[in-house]
Amino acid sequence: MKFREIVESPCGIRYLFDALELQSGYARKVLLDREMMVDPEQIDTAYSTLGKAYDLVVGDRRKVEDMRFRLQALRDISGTLASLADGATLDEIEFFEIKHMAMLAETLSMGTDMDTVIGILDPDGLKIGTFYLYDSYSVELRSLRAAVESDPDDAQLQEDLANEEDRLKKVISDKLRPYAAVLQRTLHELADLDIVLAQAVQMHVEGLVIPTSATATEVKGMFHPGVRASLRMKGREFQPVDFAFECGVPATVIGANMGGKTVALKTLCMLQYLYQFGFALPVESAVMTPFDDIRFCIGDEQDEKTGLSSFAAEMQRIDRAVEAVEKGGRVLLLVDEPARTTNPVEGTALVAALLQRLSDKPNLALVMTTHYTVEHAGQCWRVQGLLPGTKGRKMDYRLVRTASHEVPHEALNIARELGIDARWIDLADTIMKRQYE
Amino acid sequence: MPFVGEILRHRSVSIVGLAKNAGKTECLNYILKRLPLEYFSVAVTSIGIDGETTDQVTGTAKPEITVREGMFFATSEKHFRQKRPLSELYDVGEEDTALGRVVTAKALQEGKVLLSGPSSAAALKRWMRSLKDFGIDLIVIDGALSRLSTASPAVSEAMVLSTGAAFSANIRDLVNRTAYVVELIRLPQYAGPEPELRVSSFSSVDAATLKGNRVIEVEGALTDRLLQMVKNSLGEGEIELVVGDFTKIFCSQELYGAFIRRGGRISVRLKSELLAVCVNPKAPNGIVLDSDILCRELSARIGLPVYDIVKNDYEV
Repeated sequence: MKFREIVESPCGIRYLFDALELQSGYARKVLLDREMMVDPEQIDTAYSTLGKAYDLVVGDRRKVEDMRFRLQALRDISGTLASLADGATLDEIEFFEIKHMAMLAETLSMGTDMDTVIGILDPDGLKIGTFYLYDSYSVELRSLRAAVESDPDDAQLQEDLANEEDRLKKVISDKLRPYAAVLQRTLHELADLDIVLAQAVQMHVEGLVIPTSATATEVKGMFHPGVRASLRMKGREFQPVDFAFECGVPATVIGANMGGKTVALKTLCMLQYLYQFGFALPVESAVMTPFDDIRFCIGDEQDEKTGLSSFAAEMQRIDRAVEAVEKGGRVLLLVDEPARTTNPVEGTALVAALLQRLSDKPNLALVMTTHYTVEHAGQCWRVQGLLPGTKGRKMDYRLVRTASHEVPHEALNIARELGIDARWIDLADTIMKRQYE
Repeated sequence: MPFVGEILRHRSVSIVGLAKNAGKTECLNYILKRLPLEYFSVAVTSIGIDGETTDQVTGTAKPEITVREGMFFATSEKHFRQKRPLSELYDVGEEDTALGRVVTAKALQEGKVLLSGPSSAAALKRWMRSLKDFGIDLIVIDGALSRLSTASPAVSEAMVLSTGAAFSANIRDLVNRTAYVVELIRLPQYAGPEPELRVSSFSSVDAATLKGNRVIEVEGALTDRLLQMVKNSLGEGEIELVVGDFTKIFCSQELYGAFIRRGGRISVRLKSELLAVCVNPKAPNGIVLDSDILCRELSARIGLPVYDIVKNDYEV
């Protein structure tokens, strides 16, 4: 799974990607092409690099900004370097690109042998970033250029000059060729540097945290940066939420409408992606565990565009996730209110059955939000809900473990708060009470 | 040596032709040939695909641009590889165009180049900013006729206009139509208080909204339909329209004239400086107008000197 495949995920990771201030288009491309990490050691190595970059951001911001300013000059010259490795003869534009990159790497103390590469492309030792086929490359070149200048109409001289230039391009290309691999590596390292510095700055600005890795997941004070930003525009604050889950123990989240269940699920999904792509997390603290496969099942507008009913699209999405679980890889499955668009009788049955179907799967961590009351052997979390004494005005978005799987009945209170037709809601209250008696 | 001195007082100048083969390239070469490079560092580029060896529309021969030793130029990778004097590479841009990336180089000797620079006004501005490290004093832009936006004062400080028989084969008509463009270029800068009403397009306003407003800011393009609507409400009192700059005006000459005659006024936020008008009395279809009459008539009409630089071949 590449980063570009999850950047549009409905979890909203796009917000952090857009806010990431990369200095070069090439770094953006490299980031989008990154593969998701599944090995906790690899993830921890990435975090250790990010941690060092963060220390630099906090400790010496000026140096960081200077480095980032230089990185604006980074260009994607992978095509040129591939031609070089393939044995091609390069031209002046390509030599310029290589010299430019090598000098950039040298100023940032990156790469090895950069001084040798620069030496090949700077025969006069001028130490400037420009390039042309310098006269000093050969005595022949110098004399032919002088001859052409004094007699510009001599076709033979011009041809001789062109031949000498071509010969020199081949000589220079051959001299550079042994460094093709190290140049490729350095190019990639420069992009990585751009990315990690941008991540470290973002970590500082957004108040993000590096998690630790373990076998179960436990997050404290998580927030959704995109939702937090839009709340702040309205002068409100995001209430951080705690949550924990692990493989083999399904978890359901129940609670009032507008209680933040979906946002919590989106945040969990985003945290998982951020973790496995080596980004710092929007949490107070977190212990994370990597999965081979992350599945987020949530209805979106795409369903309508493809012509499937939301129910059909949802069922198929969950079905594919069940298949993935059966294959045996470690799967994180996040499902937002499954079967909510069908009738509650069948809906409840479908949800209860799904939980049974997926119980006893040690390779699966399942988190599901629902409005249905379903008993299961796993854990149940509940949105704290309306704060008592506020007449339904204030919501406590925190999630708490609960023994009862009975969904809270707060919909009517919330509807009243929304100013919905009072006669309608009173009537609903009466009908509900009659049913329960 | 007309108008070269005026050019040197600006940091950027665009050369704009009112039609293909209106003599823009000759005009550009005339300028480049006469700039005193001993004291000035000059960079030249064009917008989009211009500077082809043969004109893509009519197939007539089109001169290339001659750059002099020490001059910076920006062109596409394709054209850089195709033809150039010995040049030192200073930058290879990031944006890819149909002809490759934009390459910025300094000519180490005099020679001909095919110019095809950044492909949009925005890309052109970015390129101009990227030159700041190279110590450039003057940027000369070969503006394409379809891209009047390069002449926008938001991009270049001053402009030189080239017109000619290719624009119109009838001297009276040519003078008339050229004078209209010149009038737009020289619209006064708005100096009044902040306008009470801002409109962004024709569809966002109606006659009732306009009522009672003396000064109206037009935030996008000023089109015929919008101008017509404003003109219709002129009966209620005078109205001044404020547009961004002259490149945002897309109105027919007739309607513009009628609007002005009825007492309407148009001013701009950013004013262009028109340095000179050059004429090419020859059209690619063989028509040749009388150069002296053309220069005299046009000059009398617009109150600016008009030059036929090819015929007169002013000294270097």
